[in-house]
Formats: sequence, structure tokens, C-alpha cells
Amino acid sequence: MLLTQNITKSFGGIKAVDTCSIKVERGLITGLIGPNGSGKTTLFNMITGLYKPDSGQINLKGNPIQGLKPSQVYHRGVGRTFQITRLFWKMTVLENMIVPVREIGWRTLLSRGVKKYEEERAMELLEWIGLSKYRDEEVRKLSFGQQKLIEFASVLMSDPDLILLDEPAGGVNPVMIEKMMDMVDDLNSKGKTFLLVEHNMRLVMELCQHIIVLDHGQKIAEGIPSEIQNNPLVLEAYLGSTQNANATA
Amino acid sequence: MTKLRIPASVWIAGLLAILVVYPFITNSQYQQHIMVMTLMAAITASSWNIIGGYTGYTSLGHAAFFGLGGYLVAWTHNHYGWHPFISAWFLAILVAVFACAMGWVALRTQGSAFVVVTIAGVFILRLLALNLSDITNGARGLTQPRPGWGGVPWSPELIKIPFHYIMLVLLCLTIFVSWRIRQSKFGMGLIAIREDEGKAESVGIDTMMYKVLAFGISSYFVAVAGGIYSYFFTFIDPSFVFGIFTSVTMVLMAILGGRGTLWGPVLGAFIMQPLSDWIIGEFGGTQIHLTVFGGILLLVMLFMPNGILPTLTEFLDRRTKARKASADSNPA
Amino acid sequence: MTIPSFHLFVQTLILGVLVGGVYALMASGLTLIFGVMRVINVAHGAFLILGAYITYVLFQNFQIDPIASILITIPIFFVIGWLLQRYMLSRIANPEQTSVLVTFALALVMEGLLGIIFQTTARSVTPSYTSAALMFATYRFPVTRLMGFGIALLIILLLYLILQYTNLGRAIRATTQDPRAAQLMGINTSMISAFTFALGVATAAAGGALLSIIYSFNPSSQSDWIARTLSIIVLGGLGSIPGALIAALILGVMEQMTAIVVTLYWSPIVFYFFLFITLIIRPQGLMGEIIREKG
Repeated sequence: MLLTQNITKSFGGIKAVDTCSIKVERGLITGLIGPNGSGKTTLFNMITGLYKPDSGQINLKGNPIQGLKPSQVYHRGVGRTFQITRLFWKMTVLENMIVPVREIGWRTLLSRGVKKYEEERAMELLEWIGLSKYRDEEVRKLSFGQQKLIEFASVLMSDPDLILLDEPAGGVNPVMIEKMMDMVDDLNSKGKTFLLVEHNMRLVMELCQHIIVLDHGQKIAEGIPSEIQNNPLVLEAYLGSTQNANATA
Repeated sequence: MTKLRIPASVWIAGLLAILVVYPFITNSQYQQHIMVMTLMAAITASSWNIIGGYTGYTSLGHAAFFGLGGYLVAWTHNHYGWHPFISAWFLAILVAVFACAMGWVALRTQGSAFVVVTIAGVFILRLLALNLSDITNGARGLTQPRPGWGGVPWSPELIKIPFHYIMLVLLCLTIFVSWRIRQSKFGMGLIAIREDEGKAESVGIDTMMYKVLAFGISSYFVAVAGGIYSYFFTFIDPSFVFGIFTSVTMVLMAILGGRGTLWGPVLGAFIMQPLSDWIIGEFGGTQIHLTVFGGILLLVMLFMPNGILPTLTEFLDRRTKARKASADSNPA
Repeated sequence: MTIPSFHLFVQTLILGVLVGGVYALMASGLTLIFGVMRVINVAHGAFLILGAYITYVLFQNFQIDPIASILITIPIFFVIGWLLQRYMLSRIANPEQTSVLVTFALALVMEGLLGIIFQTTARSVTPSYTSAALMFATYRFPVTRLMGFGIALLIILLLYLILQYTNLGRAIRATTQDPRAAQLMGINTSMISAFTFALGVATAAAGGALLSIIYSFNPSSQSDWIARTLSIIVLGGLGSIPGALIAALILGVMEQMTAIVVTLYWSPIVFYFFLFITLIIRPQGLMGEIIREKG
């Protein structure tokens, strides 16, 4: 589904991502983990078109996408949530669901108001996440967890093939986390591919079928959860900093 | 949503009715003149609102389109005999195309840099108008023959009336387009761009294209108005039409009334234009004008940046909510 | 189009560089403000003209030499800038969007008031050395431009020293690079903003004084000058003072060249041209950073 080949991105002399090559298999839930600053979000941003890699290629379903605008990447079937939830705060829940573009075309652009089938689809999704009664509330009035759900649901409006989730469990209560995991599983069983960045190890180990580990912008390990858990390189990457700290103390 | 006791459509119909018969209920040429200018102000402010209000890109360069419309109409009238009431509509399309080109460059910047670029745009056009005097007659400006039809000038008593109606038609068209945009997915996209451009891009909105389109559309009605204006005054020169003040006027009216709303700009125009004419009448000259306009803009931006309509609706909303709350807690 | 002789070419180059220095001073305050506050002070041109008018008044009524009057006007403008930022600009809800209109409104009010007080007659300040020039190797160095260049560079140097070697300057540079990090390190960013804005407006006092002896001006000139300084800081890179210096020199030279090769009336177009070209080809300017979107 997704393939990055030796992509590198530097910001002012610091390599955020360094000759990184990862592969995301179609139909799997792949986890992307690594200590803070290992380049995960930068990688995400390159995949979705926010940044252009300094070198290297990114292929989606066999076609190169590096350098495309985010809206173009979106239309190729990629959806994405943000680490810090990003919604149109002053718009209502329903409006937030409707804004994502589903089809490109002059008639749909000029269409009056909310097309019936868009509203239907939006309500379906809202039902699925259990927030349909909030449809006319401004999203800024909802709770943090509800907002995260809405962001997630709005991404699904365009029926993307690849969904990128940036720390979906961040700051969310355990009940909600379970709910999200069920949803991801559900969608995955229907054929959706996921790539998620997460710090919550339990979630990653339970949910992901394949895990990629980054450290300092490079891939240091990948494999199934049990392999990763026991991989000394991974442990060192996460714990290494504390070891150094202890050494100098 | 506040429910007005009298539905909006009745208000609009009433306003329209008054405007339609206006030239006949007032016999004063002066008042007819003011109304023509007010309608024109409402047109430019509502048109600006499409890029400045819905999309959130504050352009201080729309005077450029006003002036371009005016010059194109004046020039084609003098050289080909094209009547402004017809040519303005078509020449404005050329201006809109130009606006799209200019927008394609200017809209790469955001926030304050964008405003600056639009200001520069007006300055460039002013410089061109002043220096290319073979075409534009430089600082002396272009004049047109007395308004009339088919070579027969209109009689002085009735001369304002055709302008009143063409401006009214143009205003209705502008409001209609603005309304349709607001209701459409395109309009939602523009508002999304205003709220969070990065997020809008990430949900599939080709922000550059949307912005350029909005910019182009917003220039069209301003250009038509400029064309008619040059005929109304039979004179056009660079310093007024390509002046920042003309741009600021549009912006101030839209913001005062409520930027991003459908009727806010119209309200702002109906307040500011008569005020502006009164100031010129009483105190003359542009200097006081500048201070007053600048002062009003300053006060609005500091204390009521959303404008009158949104502030009013918010206030009324809160009152109805408070009343509801007290009614709920005090069952009669 | 007239192709200049070599002598004329060098003479024009000299004039361009001299006047470029003055432009650099004018632009430095603007770019400094942007660097720290991410706000374009559109009233900067109005402050330049205000500075010019005050210099004029001091010269006409008290015979104070325009260069010397800078010592008077700088502190006054500093205070004005401080008060403006502290009590007006800091109250703005989302500064990056609305500050343009607010500062623009301020510029209008200032232009209007200046027009009411001084009328629209063109003024200039004409000290004894107005027409004097030094001759060197057959080239003419007008005293006003020489002094302008010298003072401008002096003040820019002063600015540079403040920014590089004082604690305050370091705090300013830190805030420019990352306001949140600066705050976390204990820097009082609201005071830094007020100080920087005050500093920027103070440079306009000096810039205005130099303007008054080189150019004629009236209240509406403020829009010409804001357009020029904006073009300079965009070309130089928003927030970069060295960039502004280089850009100012380039534009100063190009402006003079255009005046000679084409006509005087077309020379302002140099600024607008570079503004647009910069935005198309290299939006971050010569030395600015690419303003990245937060992903």
C-alpha cells in the first residue's frame, strides 16, 4: 500500500528523518513507535504532503506521491488525524463531517447546502460513533474525547484506503481507548489499512499486526509485536536515555 | 439561531420594495445621488466579503478592480462607443481574469503579508495609470460623454434614475451570488479555509484553487460597479479609483456590518456611505474623512471585530437563552 | 530608455547605495517588529512621516538641525511605541490577523491628523547643507545623503550591538526564534513585545528625520513609504535585519538606476516588482526562513 524509500528530511541542519524506508502492507494495522523526537510525526507529514522530503521517494499503491499537496494526497485515498486534535471549532459537528470533500467536480461544488446523501453518510458515521445527537452543536463545546472521535469519523467521510492516526489515544480515558480500538479493528476487518503513531504500548501491542520502530529519524526495527517487545535495540532506544542520565548522575 | 418575529424574507421584500420605488418617493436629486452611491458601496462591500469575509483574506487591493473596471469602460466607450450599461458586465469578466492571475501570486502569502501585497497591487496600477498616459490620459483622467442612450443624453432631472436601477440590479445579483456561495460546498470550503487552512487542505480542499476563485468572483462585481461609476461621474482619474482609501471603504463597511455574514456588508454600507457624504458636506476634503474612517475602523477592530450583525445576534441569543433559563426555573 | 555613460552609471550607483542605507534604517524597525511579534506594522510609514514632520517643526521653529533632532525624537517615539503596544496592540484578540487592519487604521488616523494640522503642501527640511556635496574622484556625494547613510549605518550598528550583546537583545532574538520556548525560559514576552515595538517605532523617528532632508513629503506620502519598506523587508526576508540591509541596498541602487535609465516616474515600480517577484520565486526572501505550517 505505502512504501517510503530512503526518505530524508532536515530542518536547519538537524535530520528529523534519515534515509528511512518503511513499508505499510495493505489491510494491516501497522504501528509506528519510537521515543520522542524520533521523526514519527515528520514522517506522517511527508506522507500526507505537508512536507516534501529532501530526498527519497514515497509510493502509494505503486504511484509516487512525494511533493504532492495535502489535498492531492487526500484524494488518492489517504486520511489523517492530528496529534493535537484539529477541527473547525466554530462549526457544528455535522458541518465538520460535511466539509471534507468527497467528490471533485463543479456540480458538487456549487451544490446547494448539504447534499442529502452527504448528510446521510455523515449521520451514519455519527451514529456509529454514538454522537449523532450532537449534530448541531459547535464542536468546541464538546468534550476532548468526543472531539477526537469526531475528528476520526470525519476522516472516514471520504472512505480512504489508508488511514493515518497520530496518537489517537493521547489524553483519552481508557474506556474511550477501548472504543477506538474496537472501531479500528472493525474498519480493518472491512479492508482498511492503518498506520498509527502511538505511545500507549498496550494499545500498540494489542492492536497492531506489524510494528515499525524509529529512533533519531531512522528505522531500527520492525516486526510483529512479540518480536518488537523483546528486541534489545528497541529497549535501548527507549531506555537508553535514562541509562545515560543515570550514568552521569 | 435567533428566531426573528418577522421572518427574514419579509424584511428583504420590504427593503427591496422601498428601494424599487425610491427614486419616485424622493424628488431630491441629491438624495437620489446618495442612494446610488450607497447601493454601489453595498455592492463593493458585499463583493469584497466573498474573499475578505468568507475566506478570511483581508484584501486592501480591491480598489484595483474598481479602477480597472472604470478605466476599461471609459476607454471602450470613448474609442468604440460601447455603452457602459452593457459593456461593464463583460469588461468586468476581463478584470476577474486579471484578478485570478493576481490572486494566484498574492494568495501564496497569508495574514499580514497578503494585505501588504494587495496594497502593492493597487499602487502598481496607480503608477501604471499615471504613467501610461497615452492610454489613460495620466493624472488628468478619462472623461465620458454625458449619460444617455443612443446618442440622446438623458434629461438632467431624471439622470440619476437609470443608475439607481442598474445599481439595484447589480446589488441583487451580488447578494444572490454571495448567498449561493454561502450555501454551497464551495462556500463551506472557503469558511473552512478561514478557520483552519491547513486542516482544510488536509481534508481535500485545494485551498489555492478555492482562494483564487473566491478572489476572482469577488473582483467581478466591484469591477462592474467601477465601470458604472465612471459613467455616473463621467470622469475617472487614478488618484481616487486606485487609492487605498477606496479599498479601505469597502473593507470598513463589510467589517462594520459583519464580515462573513450575508447582509453585514450591506448594513455597513447603508451606515457608512451616508455618513461619509455628510462629512464631506459639512467638513469637506479628505483629511477629516481619513481620520474619521481610520478612527471607526480602529474602534471596530478593537471593540467589535465581528461587526454589528454577529454581535447583535449573539446578544439577542444570550437574552433569549437567559429568558428561557429563567422561564424553565420558574414554572408559572 | 537612455543608456548611461560609465560616469553616470557609477554616480547613480553611489547615490543608490547612499540612499539604500537610509532605506535600510527605515526597514530595520519594521522587520524587527515582525520578527518578534509576527505583525506587520502597517503604520510604520505613517511614523516615518510623523518623524519627518516633527523634524520639520523643530527645524522651522527652533532651528534645530535635523540630524541633531534625532536625539530628541528617538526617545519620544520610543515611548509612543511602548504605550501603543502595551495598551492597544496587546489587547487585540488574534494579532496575526487583525493587527494589520488595526495598524492600518492607525496609519489612516495619523495621515488624517497630519493633514488637518499641516495641510497637504509638500514639505522638506532644508538645512544649510541641503545642496552641498563633496566631490571625490569626479563623483558627487551630496552631503544630505552622506549624512543620511552615515547616521543610518550608525543606528543599524547600534541596533545590531543591542541585539547581539545585551541580555535584552538576546531575549529579543530568542523570542523571534521561538516565543513559547522563550516564555518557558522565563522571558517576559509581553515586555519584549512592547520593547521591540517601541524600538521599531524609535527607528522610524530617525528614519523620518533623514527622510525629511532627502525627500519632500506630505501626509499621503506615508503610503508610498510603507510600500517601499514592505518591499524591502519581503525581499530581505521577514524578520531578518541583515536581509533588510542587503535588500535596501539592492533596491536603492535599482531605484536610482531606473530613474536614470527610464524616467523618474517609473522608479517606484522597482519596489513593487521585486515584491511580486520575491513572492513568486522565493517567498522567504533572501535571508528569511520558510514559514512552515504546523502539520
